[in-house]
Amino acid sequence: MLYLAAFLFSIGIIIVMVKRNAIMVLLGIELMLNASNLNFVAFNQQHGQQSDGHIFALFVIIVAVCEAAVGLAIVLRVYKYYNTSVPDEIADLKG
Amino acid sequence: MEKKLFDALVFLTLLAPLVSFFTLCCLPRNYIKIILSASIFLMLISTLSALVLLFNFWNGAIIPIHLNWFSIGTNSFTADLALSNRSLVMLALVAFISLLVHVFSIGYMGGDRDLKRYFAMLGFFTFCMQGIVLSDNLLLLFMFWELVGFSSYLLIGHRTIRPEAGRAAKKAFLLNRIGDAGFMVGLMMIWAIYETFSLTQILSTSTVHPWQTAASLCIFCGVIGKSAQFPLFTWLPDAMEGPTPVSALIHAATMVAAGVYLLVRLFHIFTEDALLVVAVTGMITTLIGAMAALSQHDIKKILAYSTISQLGLMVLAIGMGILDAALLHLFTHAFFKACLFLSAGLVTHSLHKAQKGQQHFDVQDIRNMGGLRKKMPTAFIAFLLSGASLAGIPFFSGFLSKEAILIALYMHNNILSWLMLVVIVSVSFLTVLYTFRMIWFIFFGEGRVIKPLKIEEPSWIMRLPVLILAFCSLWFLVSRNPFDFKGWMLTNENHHSDLLWITFISILWIVAAVLVSWYAFRKNPFKTHHILRKSFYIDEGLTAFFGTVTRISSRTTAFIDRSWIDKTIHGLVYAQVVVAHFTGWIDHVFVDGTVNGVARLAGLGGKITRSFQGGNIQLYIFWALFAIIIFIIWTLN
Amino acid sequence: MQEYLLSLLIFTPLLAAVIALFIPSTFIQAFRFLAMMATLIQVVFIWQLVTAYEPSASLQFVEQKSWITLDLGAWGTLQAQYFLGIDGLNITFVCLTVAIMIIATISSWRITKNVKGYFILVLILNAAIVGTFSALDFLLFYLFFEFMLLPMFFLIGIWGGPRREYASIKFFLYTLLGSILILIVLIGLYISVLDPEHSPKVVHTFNMLHMTHPENFISGSIFDPENPWMIGTINARAWAFLLLFIGFAIKLPMVPLHTWLPDAHVEAPTPVSVILAALLLKIGGYGLMRIAFPIFPEAALTFSWLVGLLGVVSIIYGALNAMASKDLKRLIAYSSVSHMGFVLLGLASLTTEGVTGAIYQMFSHGIIAALLFLIAGVLSDRTHDRMIDHYSGLATRMPSYFAIVLIGFFASMGLPGFSGFIAEILVFLGAFKSNTTNGLIHESLAVISTLGLILGAGYYLWAIQRMFFGPLHLKGEATIEQLVPLSYREYLMLIPLCFAAFFFGIYPQMILNWINPFTEGFVNIVVETGKRLTPNL
Repeated sequence: MLYLAAFLFSIGIIIVMVKRNAIMVLLGIELMLNASNLNFVAFNQQHGQQSDGHIFALFVIIVAVCEAAVGLAIVLRVYKYYNTSVPDEIADLKG
Repeated sequence: MEKKLFDALVFLTLLAPLVSFFTLCCLPRNYIKIILSASIFLMLISTLSALVLLFNFWNGAIIPIHLNWFSIGTNSFTADLALSNRSLVMLALVAFISLLVHVFSIGYMGGDRDLKRYFAMLGFFTFCMQGIVLSDNLLLLFMFWELVGFSSYLLIGHRTIRPEAGRAAKKAFLLNRIGDAGFMVGLMMIWAIYETFSLTQILSTSTVHPWQTAASLCIFCGVIGKSAQFPLFTWLPDAMEGPTPVSALIHAATMVAAGVYLLVRLFHIFTEDALLVVAVTGMITTLIGAMAALSQHDIKKILAYSTISQLGLMVLAIGMGILDAALLHLFTHAFFKACLFLSAGLVTHSLHKAQKGQQHFDVQDIRNMGGLRKKMPTAFIAFLLSGASLAGIPFFSGFLSKEAILIALYMHNNILSWLMLVVIVSVSFLTVLYTFRMIWFIFFGEGRVIKPLKIEEPSWIMRLPVLILAFCSLWFLVSRNPFDFKGWMLTNENHHSDLLWITFISILWIVAAVLVSWYAFRKNPFKTHHILRKSFYIDEGLTAFFGTVTRISSRTTAFIDRSWIDKTIHGLVYAQVVVAHFTGWIDHVFVDGTVNGVARLAGLGGKITRSFQGGNIQLYIFWALFAIIIFIIWTLN
Repeated sequence: MQEYLLSLLIFTPLLAAVIALFIPSTFIQAFRFLAMMATLIQVVFIWQLVTAYEPSASLQFVEQKSWITLDLGAWGTLQAQYFLGIDGLNITFVCLTVAIMIIATISSWRITKNVKGYFILVLILNAAIVGTFSALDFLLFYLFFEFMLLPMFFLIGIWGGPRREYASIKFFLYTLLGSILILIVLIGLYISVLDPEHSPKVVHTFNMLHMTHPENFISGSIFDPENPWMIGTINARAWAFLLLFIGFAIKLPMVPLHTWLPDAHVEAPTPVSVILAALLLKIGGYGLMRIAFPIFPEAALTFSWLVGLLGVVSIIYGALNAMASKDLKRLIAYSSVSHMGFVLLGLASLTTEGVTGAIYQMFSHGIIAALLFLIAGVLSDRTHDRMIDHYSGLATRMPSYFAIVLIGFFASMGLPGFSGFIAEILVFLGAFKSNTTNGLIHESLAVISTLGLILGAGYYLWAIQRMFFGPLHLKGEATIEQLVPLSYREYLMLIPLCFAAFFFGIYPQMILNWINPFTEGFVNIVVETGKRLTPNL
């Protein structure tokens, strides 16, 4: 299970680094979050007497949902404003 | 009272010509009548006071006049004036002849553009000459000595339009200056020996200093220059470029005689060896002068060489210690030589006038003349009388003065004096020859080139002074007895005048010379040898030598200046510029390079660090990840 | 007012220069009259100075104010004073300066290019020269000395002839080199000399009078006579003397450091030439007499043969070069070199006659050189051509000019009756006597230098013969119509100078009264102190 999590995290991070579209980046972030959720669950399974890890995973899912909602909203606004959802092309603040 | 009168007369004699100079300088140049009358009047005053001095104070006790000039430290330079019998005679002589020449010049120089300058300089010359005679201070004497050279320069170069006049004037002054440089060295030695220039003090010192011979010879250098002695005599013939009255006054009667006067004045500081040099110089000069005079064609040049010869004779006599006779000869020579020049002036003046509008020829060349005896009787008489005096014919003053020298020499009775005696006798033979050569050529025979001309005698204002001078060449100027030179001037017991057989022989000798000249020159043999005519090429030799030396050395120094010193300076400056360029290059490449390098390095660093923040979020993440991985690896290790 | 006469003399022209700054540059006449006024006011002051001056060896009209006092703690105190004074040496030159400045101002009337700048520079120069001659504090002296350089540089470089830039830079470099040598010694002296008035305290001073006393030197310092620092084979004091000698000899100028002079003169406008020849050259000789000889007497005695020898070389070398020059101004410039050689020769003899002659020669040359350059200016004003060969027979066209040229040339060749003669004969007498009295220079130097008299007569007479004798004839671009007679303005400059040359030749006592007390003191001090210190050398 930890291997799966590591695999997912790696895929997520590669997506974040490689994909240019903001939505894909958000997806990559989701993947990484979920990989960490897997880790929480897995470590709780191995070591925990209490179910802290599970609860943490739940929190993370909720936060991830919120984050996805906010992130997507921002991407939507950005897309509307700049006609693109690729962050690299939005260089207004670059000196 | 007497002293005051005496002083006044002395100053009148001395300063009246100077007043004449200044007055003429201030007058405008076209007030000719005022210029002439002022200058004649002042000269007359000077002459009269000189004559009064001569007659009243002859053999009298004369008190010197003390004047302070300037002082340095403890040494004072005085401007004392001192008079003796000798200087009284000289004063009167200079003033008198100068007056006559002034009068003569009125006629001779009439119509000249620069009449004012001419008369002013004549006055100035007279003043300076009287200054030489009077001064009792060697430095003052030297001042006047140089100043007569200056006035001689201006008077020789009076006709500025003639380039030859400029050349002759320059030559006269330069050769005099060479002699004077020697005189100057003499002055330095005198100063080093005696610490004073006062002649009275110098002459009263009896100790002989080791430098004395050198000092006296150096002073003799001045005499060589001024009195036209060998080898510097060559300026005198050239000086004949000046107007004839000037030649009569300066280059025959007075200035050139100043050297002889100086020798007499300073005789006491001359040592035996120095006197030998003086005598030998005089001997050479008198011989060369007489021989050269015999070979000239220009009437004034003949007279100039004759002057050189006679001056040599006087110098020779002084070298042998015969002072009074030499001075007597100076005295008589002044009159007859001035008269010869002035009558030559009469002739050339008339010829020049007659020549106008006719064909042009050299009015001074005796080959062109002839038969002037009838056309110009005054000039003939004057020339004959003074010529006879020059030749030393009895009843004339020249005979007596020469006799005095001869007998004094005879009394010496040693090898040197016999040698000198032979020289003088042969020179007097030559003198007779050239004098009568002139007389035959100019006044006898048939007129040659001048025959078609209508010749008139000049006005009385010119003839009168000549006649007065001619009159003064007779014997009574010296003594009452025409065969005894002991008169008012020569009273010294040392002079024996009772050697009648010498007088007799010399008369015979002179008659023989006259006969020879009659035989030799009656028939116009014009040919003369070029060596003699050019007076042994001494002039050419000296000019070539000194000219070359000066030219080469001045060119060398100019070359050194341009090439060495300036090139060195330029080289230094160039070297500096090169060094500057080099340091500039170093500055540019190294110093600036280092600074720029540092800046570029910083820039590079900046660029590198900036490249991390390209605005590419994914790159940031990559680097962050990279850093985290490194951190993790590091912490794990 | 008496006690401030020297300051007034210095600051009058400076004040005039400041006033001139505020006048618009189109008012050309105003500058001329302003400069003239300034010099005339200076005449009033100099008149009071001369009448109140009493001939004696002591300093008079002394103004001594503290100027710079810096407490350097362990380094002692730096003290420079505003110290002016007049004695027999510099009163002659101060008088000469004022007289020549009037002549130069009259002569400047013809300047038309940038009149404002010209006169301001001349006024500054005037102040600097008077200051140099009267300063007795070495730093003040040096300040004025350097101050002269700049106006001169611009006067030659802007108002000069065709090669003016070359000439002015050459002049500047040469003189600057000299100044630097002097500066080195100045610093060394500053380190070595203490002010005895503040005795226990260590107060370094620039006072020249203190420098002449050997006891004021700090023992062990670089110029201490007791404690010689050897540099090479001679000690530091000897080196200092040589540096000062070279520094001032450049100004004098002495062969072989003279080549700036002909170029500067040939290019400079007439009034600047007059100032340069008559005044600036004198500062070289003045510096030697005021500084080099009294401060380093034993070195002066040791090297007097060198000074004398170079003097003789200058006399003859300058004369020969004059003979080779084709340009009238260059001829006169080289004759200056020759005449300033007499100053060195007279000074080297260290006899009363010789030193008096040297001072008199400087004074006399000031008059005669001014006259000569004005004479050359007369010709170049008319035809802009100074080549001797281009003229012939001028005597018939310009008789009065001929008369003045005769006076000028003969005065310069040392004809008796003119001031040059008195100077030269005194130098000769002193130089010849030197060997027997103090054994400094050999007689032969004096004898050889008489050659200068002959050569002097040679080049002047040759020039007169070529330019004035013969038929009137001009070569080159000049025309006969350009040769107009002398104007009144030119007479106004030339006649007084002729008269002065004549007057001081006939009656030298007037100047000698001033010089005599100074010379006696100078010779005694230099010879005695020098002999006392010589064993240390």
